[in-house]
Amino acid sequence: MPAAVDPPLLETRDLVKEYVLGGETVHAVAGVSLKIVRGEFVAIMGASGSGKSTFMNMIGALDVPTSGHLLLDGIDTAALSSDELADIRNRKIGFVFQQFNLLARTSATDNVAVPLIYAGLSGPERRARAEATLRDMGLGDRMSHTPAKLSGGQQQRVAIARALVTNPLMVLADEPTGALDTRTSEDIMGIFQRLNDDGITVIVVTHEPDVAQYASRRILFRDGKVIEDAPVVDRHRAA
Amino acid sequence: MNIGRTVASWGLNIAIALVALRTNLMRSILTTLGVMIGVLAVILAVAVGDGAKASVMDSINQLGSNMAIVFPQPENKGGRRVVDRGRLTERDATAIQRLVPGVSAIAPQLRSTVQLVIQGRNSTTTAIGITADYGRVANTEIDTGRFIADADIRTAARVVVLGPSVATKLFGSFDPLGQTVRIARVPFTIIGVLETKGSTFGTDNDDIALVPITTARQRFATVAGQGPDDLAILFVGFEDGVNLAAGKNAIIRVLRARNNVPKGEISPFTVNTTEEFMKQSGTVTAVFQGVLVAIASISLLVGGIGIMNIMLVSVTERTREIGLRMALGAKRSDIRNQFLVEAAVLCVIGGAIGLMLATLLAHIFEKMADFPAPIGAGTVVGAILFSAFIGLAFGSYPAIRASRLSPIEALRSE
Repeated sequence: MPAAVDPPLLETRDLVKEYVLGGETVHAVAGVSLKIVRGEFVAIMGASGSGKSTFMNMIGALDVPTSGHLLLDGIDTAALSSDELADIRNRKIGFVFQQFNLLARTSATDNVAVPLIYAGLSGPERRARAEATLRDMGLGDRMSHTPAKLSGGQQQRVAIARALVTNPLMVLADEPTGALDTRTSEDIMGIFQRLNDDGITVIVVTHEPDVAQYASRRILFRDGKVIEDAPVVDRHRAA
Repeated sequence: MNIGRTVASWGLNIAIALVALRTNLMRSILTTLGVMIGVLAVILAVAVGDGAKASVMDSINQLGSNMAIVFPQPENKGGRRVVDRGRLTERDATAIQRLVPGVSAIAPQLRSTVQLVIQGRNSTTTAIGITADYGRVANTEIDTGRFIADADIRTAARVVVLGPSVATKLFGSFDPLGQTVRIARVPFTIIGVLETKGSTFGTDNDDIALVPITTARQRFATVAGQGPDDLAILFVGFEDGVNLAAGKNAIIRVLRARNNVPKGEISPFTVNTTEEFMKQSGTVTAVFQGVLVAIASISLLVGGIGIMNIMLVSVTERTREIGLRMALGAKRSDIRNQFLVEAAVLCVIGGAIGLMLATLLAHIFEKMADFPAPIGAGTVVGAILFSAFIGLAFGSYPAIRASRLSPIEALRSE
């Protein structure tokens, strides 16, 4: 289907986020308009303070814009209640965080099953789907392990399984390799590439150019604005 | 939302709560302690109050369960009075027995304070001049020997039946039957000893000596002894199932007619029923219990504040977890319920332990103090429900605070 007809998965129109900090207004995101379509692998880059994280929080329905519009899967999020936003996060978005954010003293399976609780699935359904997703992530033999008994790479794979378990439209990863060594980082980016090959939209926020090279499109932020938006040339392919 | 899913999600919340409470085990135990002590105190207060109620009712029953008591004192209320002293005679008593429906027996009495002397020992007690029906009306049974009989009344015999307290005081462990005791310097033969009745409102029901009413009239100076057949007090026993209030009114009608008391004037006598005593005592013990429970509730309140405090700490500590759960799709109500359930679980565990300890302590108390402290099924269910309520009440502020967090700020917190 031609891209012009396909409704974008995500569209921002003049998106603005301002904070008042110590009496001064900070323009964290200062008017960003862009579209991301299904199947893209986007790297959002920028130095710290460039507004990339704030932008990411807004497209993840975690934060609301000061002005402008955000359309997720064709729905304008401005009019939604906090419960409706929670529902969108649950059904349409999978989050992966820098610090993994797994629940301590909770098995990998139970961690992966958390989003399914809020999707209203029964205990056996939750367990079955969480285990299947963990097996896809190559963690079939680690399902009953708690985070403390898993390596950083394994923990991040559990977190990715948790992001995928609800079959979201897109995965949002905020510095997913920030807490990992180089080799493990490559593994994780390889997983994202594989997911993207399977048709899942992946958006990764990073400040590392190396990591961005795995994406197919690179958006560069500075001072709350997009200063560059181009396809990635010489793209890394994970082995 | 279907009910099965709702129940399942509460079950899940309980599971989450148990994990969270186990994570901070020491803190959970200490917090639970507050609720436990509170519930323990409240249950014991209720039990002691119930026990007091039961023992007061029991001791009123000792007086005679279904009767009216007539005193020759003018009614204690405002109104025009022609009489300055009360009047109650044996003829009144006979008229009541004849005219008031449902009367099973009457026990007219004379009362005087006397000194009993035997071989250098003495005891001051209340001598009650009675008729043979007294035992039946006043629930008084003989332990050894025999009761005063009609023949004793007819002959004004110098015989006495001792209350156990008097018997013990005069004779110790020796058998008093057949012994002679001097009452107001007149020798009496002891023909029986009564069964123990205990005390009512601090008055020893066993500190009495029963003599024939005719003998009392001849030998003792009685308070009521103005006329030849005046009485100090009259017990009117009713058959089972008779409405005591109606019986009381019938007695009043008969006595007012006999004394020609005009309408609007107060009666020269007072009538009370055991039912009224019970009602009055019920009010007194209810107040007593209320005060006890109110004091005990303070400790439960303190326990509840402890719960609120620790839940606030827990919410602060787990802000990041709250943010994560919100990012993964938890609605505000999900977060609120999670913390509410956690507080309720904490309280119910405390309440259950408090309940068990209270049951144990009540048993020990009953054994040691010889005082009933019953813990009924209602108390058990009430204690558990009330603990859950405390959890929900004191947990709601922290839970609502948790649910109002902004997901992004919660996620960012360290």
